[in-house]
Amino acid sequence: MLKLRHISKSFPGVRALDDVSLEFRAGEIHGLIGENGAGKSTAIKIITGIYQPDRGEIVLEGEPVRFADFRDSQRRGIGIVHQELQVIPDASVAENIMIDKLVTRGAGRVDWDVTFRVAREHMARVGLDAPPDRLVRGLSAAQKQLIQIAKALSAKAKLLLLDEPTSSLTEHEARRLFALLRELRDQGTAIGFVSHKLDEVLALCDRISVLRDGKFVGSRENLSARDPAASGSNPIRPAELVSMMLGRECNDDHLGQLSPDWNTEVLRVENVVRLGKVEGVSLVLHRGEILGCYGLVGSGRTELARILIGEDRMDSGRITIRGEPVTIRSVGESLYRHRMGYVSENRKEEGLLLEDPVRTNLAVAVWPRIRRAIARCINADRERAVAADQVNALQIRTPGIEQRVRHLSGGNQQKVSIGKWLAADCDILIIDEPTVGVDVGAKQQIHELIWNLAARQGKSILLISSDLPELVRLVNRLLVFRQRRIVGEVRDIDTKKKSYAEVSREIAPLFE
Amino acid sequence: MTMPATVIQERVGFGQRDWVSGRTLGLILFAGILMIAMSLASPNFLTQETFFSQSRYVAFYLMVAMSQAVCLAVGDLNLTVGAVGSIATVALGLLMGAEQAGLSPWVAVPLVFLIGPLTGWLHGMIITRLKIDAFIVTLSMMFVYMGLRSGISGGNAYTIPQSFWWLGQGSIGGWLPYMLLIALAVLGLTSHMYRNTVLGRRLLATGSNAEAARLSGIDTNRMVVVAHVLSGCFSVMAAIMWASWGGNAAPETGDNWLIISFAVAIIGGTGLKGSLISPLGIFMGAIIFKLIQHSLVILKINDNYSNTVLGALILLAILVDRAREHFDGGRRGS
Repeated sequence: MLKLRHISKSFPGVRALDDVSLEFRAGEIHGLIGENGAGKSTAIKIITGIYQPDRGEIVLEGEPVRFADFRDSQRRGIGIVHQELQVIPDASVAENIMIDKLVTRGAGRVDWDVTFRVAREHMARVGLDAPPDRLVRGLSAAQKQLIQIAKALSAKAKLLLLDEPTSSLTEHEARRLFALLRELRDQGTAIGFVSHKLDEVLALCDRISVLRDGKFVGSRENLSARDPAASGSNPIRPAELVSMMLGRECNDDHLGQLSPDWNTEVLRVENVVRLGKVEGVSLVLHRGEILGCYGLVGSGRTELARILIGEDRMDSGRITIRGEPVTIRSVGESLYRHRMGYVSENRKEEGLLLEDPVRTNLAVAVWPRIRRAIARCINADRERAVAADQVNALQIRTPGIEQRVRHLSGGNQQKVSIGKWLAADCDILIIDEPTVGVDVGAKQQIHELIWNLAARQGKSILLISSDLPELVRLVNRLLVFRQRRIVGEVRDIDTKKKSYAEVSREIAPLFE
Repeated sequence: MTMPATVIQERVGFGQRDWVSGRTLGLILFAGILMIAMSLASPNFLTQETFFSQSRYVAFYLMVAMSQAVCLAVGDLNLTVGAVGSIATVALGLLMGAEQAGLSPWVAVPLVFLIGPLTGWLHGMIITRLKIDAFIVTLSMMFVYMGLRSGISGGNAYTIPQSFWWLGQGSIGGWLPYMLLIALAVLGLTSHMYRNTVLGRRLLATGSNAEAARLSGIDTNRMVVVAHVLSGCFSVMAAIMWASWGGNAAPETGDNWLIISFAVAIIGGTGLKGSLISPLGIFMGAIIFKLIQHSLVILKINDNYSNTVLGALILLAILVDRAREHFDGGRRGS
């Protein structure tokens, strides 16, 4: 149906796609998997004409084509269902489906009868059970998704691309979506399914291709998608896919051996539940330990972190900090009472005051402590000293403490968001995906920084990461999160000098 | 988040090194030029007398604009600036008016003052607890208050007893109006707050990036409430000053405050997206605003056109900021 041949695409400083070839066949569901930044969304944007490839060609039904823009690709039978549900909330279901092809009669008046009838046909095809004149606003995420699929099909899409379609669906809704996709496949539609959830890709896709760092790693047939009984003779192994996804050239070096104080528990989490987010998670963090939390997005790691810092409530469970049972109701409490800090994975949105100077960002959590006793105002000299200390200690590269954080590099911004908690004297740190979007050199520095905090300063760190090599380099133990639970633990990573390959072999069965 | 790309220390409030930002210096310069031009055009403009009598307007505009600016600084806005002022005016008339309750100013004024923090608290709570946009909340409340004041007053003005005229009309040594003194005190206190206190800094951090501020342990909801409480206080202060100065409490007081509050705050360099506020800049904005009004008189432009000028001024101020940002590029300092 559609082939990508040797497609390359670069953006300033990044090679997003490097000689990638993919084929989407009629009557086949083709899964595209890879980590964040592997090139999945760039590939989709090229197929849908949003980006033009630098090199390579797109072949549509045997003919090389060039999509001028998004509309052009749609006209030629490419349909896409986005991750963010792109519907018009205040229009009816029928209008949403028919928005670009409203039937008119004379003088541009919309023929609502015909429009609704056609819409109803498409709704029936995707099994969307809602009145066509209902406003979309009140529909569920799954229904909105069906609208998008119906819309794509009504445009006679021969290739239907779905980008992370299940991220806003419940499991039940996802299963129904899969049934529909199988049906469409059997009717001869080519389907491209982009996801980083291995489980669902294995359950659904007939062929699975892996992208990593913008390169095509490999493609495997998945017989069990059509016939679960075939799994014995299936040429595909989940473990193999995991290592294809992760197996970038990584050096197995451990930064060194941590010496946690195994007798001092600083944080104990017991059976923490938040419905639909975290289902019975328990863990213990020791003084001077880096405890890895490995898993995919939505597996419950960040969700647990948000509970620990008081951003979200837990439905049940127990949290003990330095031996005392605690209830944490706000970030202020976790910070000022328990000296626990959270370095957010979205540093720009949640971690930093981008328009403000480095000084402010580093000192924001210590203002109450550096207040002059009588005048009650912030001691400016101490504020500057606090900031300068962190700039030196973390080797933050900035022209000065008055520099706006916006102008720092990703790596240095990350140091600032870690430094904020160090300045506030936190000795429990929850660090979430610290090296997403930073370059290789900065990554190394941040790794050293995190490691030193635990090894030299006795900080206790809960390190959340989807980057397995990163965890292997830094941690002693790691917990594997899957589907909102902890499903396994890998111990003695640094003491027994386990290599990345060994650790990933240990983890792979957990994803079977 | 789009904000001028330059670091303007005094305006950001986070800075402590420069007392006056480049932008505010620009305003001072501009005000100077206007004054010189106007005294050339009209020889009796620059007398000590005009200067100090006009300074009452400046004080009044500062209050009105601060009422808006404190909300803008946390990333909100407040459309009730004038409506709260008008409610306060009517309350003042009811409590103090000779034919009304006839209370002593020392009782009535503090009571009326309470209207500011109470309404502000209410707005803040509705915005943060019920999670309704500040625009909608203050828009609706504006009409609630406007209806109340018309209903209660029936459109009639109350007289303010002479015993309370001193605040608006009095002065020290016959030339330094009390109103200007109050304005200077407000200028000093708010500058200090935003520059040096934990509360002020937290207000600015909330305006800068509420999400990040909350995850840094700042109770951002409380900051929004505080901003609206402060806003209410400035509104009633403006109302009390105005009534005392005019010697009566007219219900239509406040009708034109909203546009003034935006115009002066924006000319004064308050960021529309939060986190940027300069009380000194706003003070200069108030002076410039008064000078421009005065120049309309000199140019014999009909007073009925003043709103047109105001609206255009707001856009002009924003465009000038854009241009500054553009020419400064990403360069620091100013």
